Amino acid sequence: MTVAPTLAVASLRLDLGHTPILRGVDIDVMPGEVHGLVGESGAGKTMVGKAVLGIAPAGARIRSGSMTFLREDLIAMPERRRRDLLGRQIALIPQDPMTGLNPVLRIDRQMTDPLRLHLGLDRPAAAAKALDLLHQVRIREPERVLRQYPHELSGGMRQRVLIAMAFSCRPQLIVADEPTTALDVTVQRQILRLIKELQETAGTAILFITHDLGVVSKICDRVSVIHSGRILESAGVADLFDFPQHDYTRALMRATPRYDRPGDLLQPVPADLTARLIAEAEALDA
Amino acid sequence: MLEARNLRLALPDRSRKPLFGPAPMTEILRGIDLELAAGESLGVVGESGSGKTSLGRTLLRLYRPTGGSLRFEGRDIATLAEADLRPLRARMQMIFQDPMSSLNPRQRIAEIVTQPLWAFGRDVVADHVPALLERVGLTPALAARYPHELSGGQRQRVGIARAIALQPKLVVADEIVSGLDVSTQAQILSLLANLKRDLGLALVFISHDLSVVRVVCDRVMVLSRGEVMETGPCERLFSAPRHPYTRALLEAVPLPEVDPDWIHGGPIEQEDNRGIGMQIKGTVALVTGTSRGIGPEYVRELAKRGAAKVYAAARDTTQIADLAAEFAGTVEAVELDITDPVQVAAAAERCADVQLLINNAGINHNTGLIAPTSLDNARAEMETNYLGTLAMCRAFAPVLQANGGGAIVNMLSILARVCLPLMGSLSASKAAGLMMTQGVRAELAGQGTTVIAVMPGAVETDMTRDLPPPKMPPADVAVAALDAVEQGEEEVYPGDMATGMAQGLAGDPKAVEKELAGILPQ
Repeated sequence: MTVAPTLAVASLRLDLGHTPILRGVDIDVMPGEVHGLVGESGAGKTMVGKAVLGIAPAGARIRSGSMTFLREDLIAMPERRRRDLLGRQIALIPQDPMTGLNPVLRIDRQMTDPLRLHLGLDRPAAAAKALDLLHQVRIREPERVLRQYPHELSGGMRQRVLIAMAFSCRPQLIVADEPTTALDVTVQRQILRLIKELQETAGTAILFITHDLGVVSKICDRVSVIHSGRILESAGVADLFDFPQHDYTRALMRATPRYDRPGDLLQPVPADLTARLIAEAEALDA
Repeated sequence: MLEARNLRLALPDRSRKPLFGPAPMTEILRGIDLELAAGESLGVVGESGSGKTSLGRTLLRLYRPTGGSLRFEGRDIATLAEADLRPLRARMQMIFQDPMSSLNPRQRIAEIVTQPLWAFGRDVVADHVPALLERVGLTPALAARYPHELSGGQRQRVGIARAIALQPKLVVADEIVSGLDVSTQAQILSLLANLKRDLGLALVFISHDLSVVRVVCDRVMVLSRGEVMETGPCERLFSAPRHPYTRALLEAVPLPEVDPDWIHGGPIEQEDNRGIGMQIKGTVALVTGTSRGIGPEYVRELAKRGAAKVYAAARDTTQIADLAAEFAGTVEAVELDITDPVQVAAAAERCADVQLLINNAGINHNTGLIAPTSLDNARAEMETNYLGTLAMCRAFAPVLQANGGGAIVNMLSILARVCLPLMGSLSASKAAGLMMTQGVRAELAGQGTTVIAVMPGAVETDMTRDLPPPKMPPADVAVAALDAVEQGEEEVYPGDMATGMAQGLAGDPKAVEKELAGILPQ
């Protein structure tokens, strides 16, 4: 018997106004798997995450394809059911921690409200749970942080709070959209480790959206490479880095600088390759 | 060509500006030494808050350094007036991080790239613009476009074209590829390398990304908290880093290769709020009440953390002879009764180099408020715990100001927040101490002095003999308080008892009061 994926996106086509953004995206995120979605800006990677969460911008229209979460159809699902899933079974770790937190509410309130709503906890139980969650994300002096407002915390601390919130209702799926892009490298490393450890403990499936091949290589189990709204290649992380199949994947690797390999000359993604990929993608629009 | 010696910069810290009066100054660059030869490229790497952007701006004299020397082409430009700087400005240019905000959205590309020529009264001839655009790999057809019509990579090329329009000798590039995709980034980096080679530019390349620096630079400088951690040729520094900070930075970079162990290595604990607090290492501290209890632990912990000097104050210095001997050379005994105004004034005069004042002295008569206590006990506790501590704050405020702000630590107790009737009069004096601490904090914010309230629960000292366990070791209180100093925290509740009670007080203060109400003096 095969295990059903936590999230199955198949042949997803999405337009923004009259512009095609996604042109037949296929991604299966298996239970307990960190699935990287890597691509450059404009590739459509953030839109995949938004479509899964049901927060695509006004004007976005799904033309065809399917999105299934634990065998439930995410597209046909009534709005009420979807809201019920969000935060409880599907959670988000956003890129910019400031937009993920409400600037006028104390951390306390922002953490306990979802716990009371989704898990039905009373106020003291929610407060105790919030404290416990902050302990788990290794925040020093969690009691103090609970009383603070987002602007009083450093970027790394805010991201820790958001990670605690994402894992708080033990969701089956987390969409992490560039969660470490705004952070310093040393803080990024702490945050990646934290996400991985919580994910392994809880067995959560994560769709990990990023532009950074380095980050992908460290945290993901599987990787899908996206360009112009198409998945060009999908592979286990070791295979992807050892035997990249698609020209674009190889080009992306050659364009990524590494401090330990000064001899390798940086090569921008060749213009003719980019042109070919765009032509191939646009051919699908007809 | 460019040489900085002991370069210092202080800027007003607006986050700590009081309602009235000027914002306190904060040190951004703490003595930078730097040399750059013509045609050479120096990478400046560091994390946010390290001072790398401020350094770039100071090197171009966009900021005026507050100390040290800065020579450009043999001339000291550190204190040069703007009018005298102006002719030099054509030879030193900057490329900014975000081209969208550094390019005027109402100007066409042609106007933007020729702006420096106009500004310096140079003739602009017809083929200037196409030549400049081609130089940076843009088609001349873009000359009539506006910045918003260009891609991020194209905009950054325009920023580069503008910077080289006057054929400068020195260019500072501040995080110029940080918002770009890797493929665009690779293009911009190779463009920069070509320009540097062809035009003989000296380049200061500021970046948080070590891999990018490796591609562009000959030498690299690692900055942290406004100080140079390490500097050296790229080849050596990246393969054999000497400073632990450099090693930590390099290890944190996720190289694009599969390594299942990487993610489980390295620290997971919350980062220090670096740059906010005060470093104990090298500072001069004064601790009151060092004859017993937490006092000697403060002295030991300060010595352990590398304090330059610790004044250990006590009413009777013969009691601290051993302590002074243990840390001879660091610890200096000071006879001081904080309830005696003459002695307090003398201490402030004698210890004029203090940067960290730890008001630890306090007394506890272990009495209630009504029975069977005497009013004298309450008066004595008030005299030492409240008025004595206040007198110290008053006497040392100008000393701390003269020494750059510094910090005051007031040893209170969780009983500042809720009354334990068994020690009712102590609780009252500590509550007074807490209000005093808040007031002093507000009044001294303008001079940059951090004022910290330390509120532990029961501590294992002579004063708490009557209390049942659990009691925390006094050394742990000193550690927590000094951590707070280094992290710039204003309130600290050392130990589980204090933490738990503070949490209870935040939720339901009445319940905590009721819980303690039953513990009455015999």
